[in-house]
Amino acid sequence: MSSWLTRPITTRLRAGMEWFDDRTGATELLHKGLYEAVPKKGGWAYALGSATLALILLQLFTGIFLLLDYVPSVNEAYNSLDYLRSSDAFGAWVRGLHLWGSYTLIFVIGLHMLRTFLSASYKRPRELNWVSGAVLFFLVLGLAITGAMLPWDQAAYWTSVVVTNIPHYIPFIGDGIRKLLRGGDFVGPITLTRTFAIHVWVLPFLMFSLIGAHLYLLRRHGEFGAWVNYDTDPGEDEEKQIGERIRHAEPPYPAKRIGRRYAAPRETVPFFPNQLFKDVALSTVLVAVIFVMGLISGAPLDGPSNPATLSYVPTPEWFFLPLDQFLVVAPTNPLIAIAIFGVIGLGAALMVLLPFIDRSPERRPLRRPEVIIPALFMAFTVIFFAVLGINRLYNL
Amino acid sequence: MKELSRRDLMIRGTGLGMGLVGVMLSVPAIGFLLSPLFTKQRTAWVTVGVIDDIPVNTPTPLVAQVPVGTGYPTPPVPRVVYVVKKPSGETLALSNICTHMQCDVHWDPALGNFLCPCHGGLYDIDGKNVGGPPPQPLAQWNKRFHSDAQGRTVLEIENVLDESI
Repeated sequence: MSSWLTRPITTRLRAGMEWFDDRTGATELLHKGLYEAVPKKGGWAYALGSATLALILLQLFTGIFLLLDYVPSVNEAYNSLDYLRSSDAFGAWVRGLHLWGSYTLIFVIGLHMLRTFLSASYKRPRELNWVSGAVLFFLVLGLAITGAMLPWDQAAYWTSVVVTNIPHYIPFIGDGIRKLLRGGDFVGPITLTRTFAIHVWVLPFLMFSLIGAHLYLLRRHGEFGAWVNYDTDPGEDEEKQIGERIRHAEPPYPAKRIGRRYAAPRETVPFFPNQLFKDVALSTVLVAVIFVMGLISGAPLDGPSNPATLSYVPTPEWFFLPLDQFLVVAPTNPLIAIAIFGVIGLGAALMVLLPFIDRSPERRPLRRPEVIIPALFMAFTVIFFAVLGINRLYNL
Repeated sequence: MKELSRRDLMIRGTGLGMGLVGVMLSVPAIGFLLSPLFTKQRTAWVTVGVIDDIPVNTPTPLVAQVPVGTGYPTPPVPRVVYVVKKPSGETLALSNICTHMQCDVHWDPALGNFLCPCHGGLYDIDGKNVGGPPPQPLAQWNKRFHSDAQGRTVLEIENVLDESI
């Protein structure tokens, strides 16, 4: 009989774990993951990033479950979800989770961007964290709008018609883009299958690749820390203080002094349990809200799509209301259309390329009026259009 | 001419192989993606209904069962055709697709206009765009009339369909 079997169980377990660790390096990986130094201040604000990730994973999870029932065909899509609503209470709940998860995700990813913008965390060397994050934001909006088209009820059908018609106003290539989105000149069966493929494969594939890059860059550079962490004690040599701080900071902060903007935060704590507790706390609250809203409010389903309606009033999802209101006021003259697509494209480009525009080491919001004022102006415009849109929908 | 080393041959071969795989995969895939661009349109006549009882100057919605016009065969969908009889004796067959974003417009008797619920586009009784964002008048269907067995006038419209080429 082998001596391995006669040894006490704890010894055998330990030997088994050592065998596994030898072959995988699991302990080292876990240690790296859990004991990274993170800034002591601002921990609750950083929890927005992990909450965004948690909500995206929730969308993946609930989305896969919706595929148990949903059929991406103009003849079946509505019926499959109507069946869910009428005959499968848990299925309807999962669909509610997916809808409220998307609402919460858009809200939280917005807050995460706002936090990053205010604390100027996009500055060197974290430019690409911002770029990947901004593209992720647009991918989430793309997922939201394609998702809204899938139920093929009245709301989904008219969303498909309006959304795929927008590119038509781009001169020269607009009609071609509309054809590619619709699978032809008209909204029809191929519109739904293409939208489904984009929602379920194309955008998630791009998104999870970029999330990988986003997290890799986060681990490479570490959290920047709130700007207050970088203040130094008056009366003491600033250069020396920052030098001391770098010496005591743990990776991933740079071991080499490269100026104030590369410095480590004043105080750091291990990720586990300090930051992880805050991350889990925020995500738990958000998932609990989605859990409850998904059950009591669920996801709406209008009547089946009807291209011959005389009474249905299509209304956009709340997060696209400002853009929808923009369609009301935007002139449709082709030359003006060029200008408008140019302005919107430029706005999106400025947003993605922000780190290459605001490159000074200054991080305090009040000392960066050159980016804060345009951002306030953009935020004001979006809110203004949202208010106009709400007003219009109430007066219908 | 410089002699090709074993190493250079492998580097070039790797690049050539990857390039070939890229071309072999992208030609059919991109062609498939772009296939909706290579369609031409054909038309087919669709019966809308009897128009004898429609009063003058009262836009009246008739529902026609119209082929979708795009993609694999699916059942026809209902489409509204607004029939407007003018005092002059002319009959218009107006599309109710808004020229702004293609929502369904409806006749609003209180306003005396066609109204689009999406973005507030307005058209007059002839389908001319008179307010809001629409850039063009409502489309008029190509139409023809025939008499049925009871001697009533039946409206037909010429529906446009995509056809693969």
